[in-house]
Amino acid sequence: MIAQYIANGLLIGSLYACLAVGFSLIYGVLNIINVMHGSFVVLGAYITIYCSQYFGISPLLSALIGCLVLFVFGYLTQRFLINEVVAAPIFISFTLTFGLDLLLNNAMIQAFTATPRSLIVDYGSVTMAGVTLPIARLGAMVLALALTGLLYWLLRHSQMGRAIIAVRMDRHAAALLGIRVPRIYAITFGIGALMAAAAGGAMAVVYPITPLLSTVFLGKSFVICVLGGLGSVPGALVGGLALGLLESFGAVAFGSQWSVTVGFALMILVLVLRPSGLAGRKGFE
Amino acid sequence: MARRLGKFASVNLAGAVLLLGSTAVTLAADPIRIGAPLSLTGSLADEGSKEQQGLDMCVDAVNAKGGVKVGNEQRKVEAVKYDYQSETGRAVQIVQRLLTVDKVDFLFAPYGSGDTKATAVQAERYAIPMIATSAASDAVYDQKQKNLFGILFPSKAMAEIEVKFYKARMPQAKKIAVFALNSLFPKAIAGEVRTFAAKEGFDVVFDGLYSPGTMDFANVLTQIKAANPDWFYVTGYIQELILIRRQMDSLGMSVPIVTMTAGAAYPEFEQNLGALSNNVTSNAWWHPSATYKDSFIYGDALEYTKAFKAKYKKEPTYLEAAATAGCEVLLESVERAGSASPDAVRKMLASERFDTFYGPIKFGPNGQNEINSPMILQIQNGKYIVLDPQDVKTGEFKPGVPPR
Repeated sequence: MIAQYIANGLLIGSLYACLAVGFSLIYGVLNIINVMHGSFVVLGAYITIYCSQYFGISPLLSALIGCLVLFVFGYLTQRFLINEVVAAPIFISFTLTFGLDLLLNNAMIQAFTATPRSLIVDYGSVTMAGVTLPIARLGAMVLALALTGLLYWLLRHSQMGRAIIAVRMDRHAAALLGIRVPRIYAITFGIGALMAAAAGGAMAVVYPITPLLSTVFLGKSFVICVLGGLGSVPGALVGGLALGLLESFGAVAFGSQWSVTVGFALMILVLVLRPSGLAGRKGFE
Repeated sequence: MARRLGKFASVNLAGAVLLLGSTAVTLAADPIRIGAPLSLTGSLADEGSKEQQGLDMCVDAVNAKGGVKVGNEQRKVEAVKYDYQSETGRAVQIVQRLLTVDKVDFLFAPYGSGDTKATAVQAERYAIPMIATSAASDAVYDQKQKNLFGILFPSKAMAEIEVKFYKARMPQAKKIAVFALNSLFPKAIAGEVRTFAAKEGFDVVFDGLYSPGTMDFANVLTQIKAANPDWFYVTGYIQELILIRRQMDSLGMSVPIVTMTAGAAYPEFEQNLGALSNNVTSNAWWHPSATYKDSFIYGDALEYTKAFKAKYKKEPTYLEAAATAGCEVLLESVERAGSASPDAVRKMLASERFDTFYGPIKFGPNGQNEINSPMILQIQNGKYIVLDPQDVKTGEFKPGVPPR
């Protein structure tokens, strides 16, 4: 039974990690708290559901379409709206994304209604050594980990990735070296939105989706990033897995009604004892 | 804004008509205004929009037949609606606004037991009758208020009938697991089922709560699976219930009786789960297959369902029907009293019996409907089947979730 508990925790934890990576990236590079993140996830999930249910495209491909759409959406939003205030104090950009989120979320309630919608997939489960693992969740976990890994690799080894890191370290110096900072900002925001859409695609096979889930997703992303260390990709992974395991065991130990509380309690503890997060460190990756 | 302009225009029009010396003065009688705080956005947006549709069904039908007859004039009906964003505090503010700024004649309660209880205090203070169409917990009606009238009969009656029903169909069932959302109604009805089940000889093998926004039930369900219950009673809103049913499946859980209250009674539950919803049972305060007659609007339950389907392209659930019936009893009271004054209408509501498409309604001393009979439903092959009461049943109970 303990093995099953751990497996359950890791499954939800990797979904959490995927959820938070995009949020963390945008915060780390742009110093923007993207309140729209939860709505991006929901939008990605809706695109996945609609593409696969109404056009018969496979869920994986549908999720990729969602990623593409959100990348463009994120890029344009940053390029033409947020770039105008990106150098202003964080509160200004926070207010801007908050306002945009209200617009986006209510537009989704109008368009999709608040009635939950699901991607009905029946992949079944596998049982190994007494531990039952649902295939849909395993798939979501693999997708989440693969994308997180890919992003990490890109940031370290591609020219674009190095440019993003350079802007993150010092945007003035990066500009002097010929990096077009507003463009890097827009691309980073686009990648953040893309990761949100990927998480949305994974969520769509697991959860019934409504626009109202956006606040839940945003709250989780925040807790995960604080746990793991704001602004780092491995931090989101560590934070996500930690939160998943913690909520799972919290539910067993104290009862399910406390599992959400346990996550926030740990966040406060980490803020007090280790403000840079469990995997965070001062400086840059 | 549009409404205000409309009103402005109609006042001017009435003035012009008077100047011309026309006799059509009665047409300009003020409409009867019902204030409705609705949860159109936020966590209860789905339920809120259902309530709005139910209210509109009543207002439209009454206006289509010329309005309400008050003494010797015909008065139209108008719903004054605000979105309270599923936040209790905002619901209280909006009810206050409806009472002091809009000065409505009557009130609808916001969604659910908790928010109804929070706002009923103001209706009492201003002595304006308030109709609650989605509050079933006894605890809402324990303040000896004179202005709160609840359409749904007590959840306690529902719990008692459910326990007896399953006990009679499956006498070998001995172990029950109860898992409830930590909110007023879901928690209350789960507690009542637990109490009655224990009285009927069930062994309560699991008893737990979960909080709104829970995203994973795998470990709790692993615990419940290990306890091996014969009857799994879960309460909550539709979102969580869908997730719980899915996770039961992915953990390979198999239980003879699975009852999900109240979200499973909505067609969206079946639409989101497909085959997984088969043999899940639920309960409802009303169902389109009911056979009640109505002399005020729509004629009977069948006609109501037909009209609803034509307008919204879906079947009504008890939630929409209760909202329609709530507005109906209010307006019928106005007609019977021959006056729209709160005192006269309150007196009618408190003393009379109303025969509606929703079923007979008679408010008890605490203000809650004391007649009407609970319905037990089961989803069989994607269809909602009524198992009880026996005189309206459309099928027999099938044990086994998932079906074997």
